[in-house]
Amino acid sequence: MRSYNLYIAGYNIRIESSSDGPELLPSERFINYICFDNNHDIIIKVHSGKFNIPSEAEKVFDAPYVEELNGIRIKKNDRFWSIYKQRNNLYISTILPLSQKQREAILQFSLDKREWDLWLDSIDDETDPLEYPLDGLILYYLTVLHGDIMIHASGVSYEGRGYLFSGISGSGKSTMAKLWDIPGVKIIHDDRLIIRKEGKGYVMFNTPVYNNDEPFESKLDRIFIIDHGTENRIVQLREAESVSLVMSNCIQHNWDSSIIAGLLDSVSDLTRAVPVARLFFLPEKSTVDHILKNEKRI
Amino acid sequence: MVNLKSVPSRSSSVVTRKTGSEYVLVPVTNNIADMNSVYTLNEPGAFLWELIDGENNIEDMIEALIREYDIDEETATADVFEFINEMNKYLIIKNQ
Repeated sequence: MRSYNLYIAGYNIRIESSSDGPELLPSERFINYICFDNNHDIIIKVHSGKFNIPSEAEKVFDAPYVEELNGIRIKKNDRFWSIYKQRNNLYISTILPLSQKQREAILQFSLDKREWDLWLDSIDDETDPLEYPLDGLILYYLTVLHGDIMIHASGVSYEGRGYLFSGISGSGKSTMAKLWDIPGVKIIHDDRLIIRKEGKGYVMFNTPVYNNDEPFESKLDRIFIIDHGTENRIVQLREAESVSLVMSNCIQHNWDSSIIAGLLDSVSDLTRAVPVARLFFLPEKSTVDHILKNEKRI
Repeated sequence: MVNLKSVPSRSSSVVTRKTGSEYVLVPVTNNIADMNSVYTLNEPGAFLWELIDGENNIEDMIEALIREYDIDEETATADVFEFINEMNKYLIIKNQ
């Protein structure tokens, strides 16, 4: 197809092949996010071939290719994706490590424009324009544009209340989501969430990570920074600790002080509205009871 | 070498936000490996951070700390030098 719209975390993203661009074939994990509303927040024009980043552009951020095996992060390649800046224009140059062929992509965008350009090289007749890591990078800069928050976290909704569990790698985000796999609970996601302010409250949304993902959202009532413990224990946090711990689990490209200041504002507002606590937990169902009993006490 | 007459100022390599009586500090970085380093300064740390204005020297900071927390000069001197040493990456030190 030549174009389609995705509805992810409340953002309407239009993907459109340019006249020189390829046929577009969204991969399985995006299928449930395709929408037929053309009222887009952002349009991404897809082109075929190589794009040369202007030589005047300065490299501002680098990411090596890291894989996580059993909670251990292993650097597989120094070169993964990099960000370049020339005045208001930003460029992300990335390899597509999960591609069968050696492929590269360049995203040209600006935080004050709603039309971005994506160049894909070595493409077949049909291509998924949001192959890893492009989807995450585009979603991240959409959160920057809107003052939203993208965070490594799992989230569940139960009896109309939303609970978010964030923490460093290996802290048990997926384990926590599995513990809540009980009747009446909606698992929003076990890995990555986007948090957006809606009215006076906050809503957490999932994003396409796995092939069978479909759009889920829930209002957000409580945030837990989790870690494995020898007992189930909830520890209240000071205001600065809440901001610091939530901030340190956010996805963030901290090459620009105004981007950092924007996220700090968003996280500060969030932690004033939604209580944050540390949760040390045992990987067993008693954790869920402990959280729910704590809710009744408050 | 930092001495009593050195004047520290804040560098642009860190973004700070006062939260309650403490500060949250987020360094500017050019590599994803350093990305999620976020620091907090407790109340005395926040007090010292606010004294760093490109005009106060180390001696001024020690005197202010003694007045604010009613501690002896030796302790205050050690605390200020330790603070300056720990925050060194986010400071520009001018020696007089």
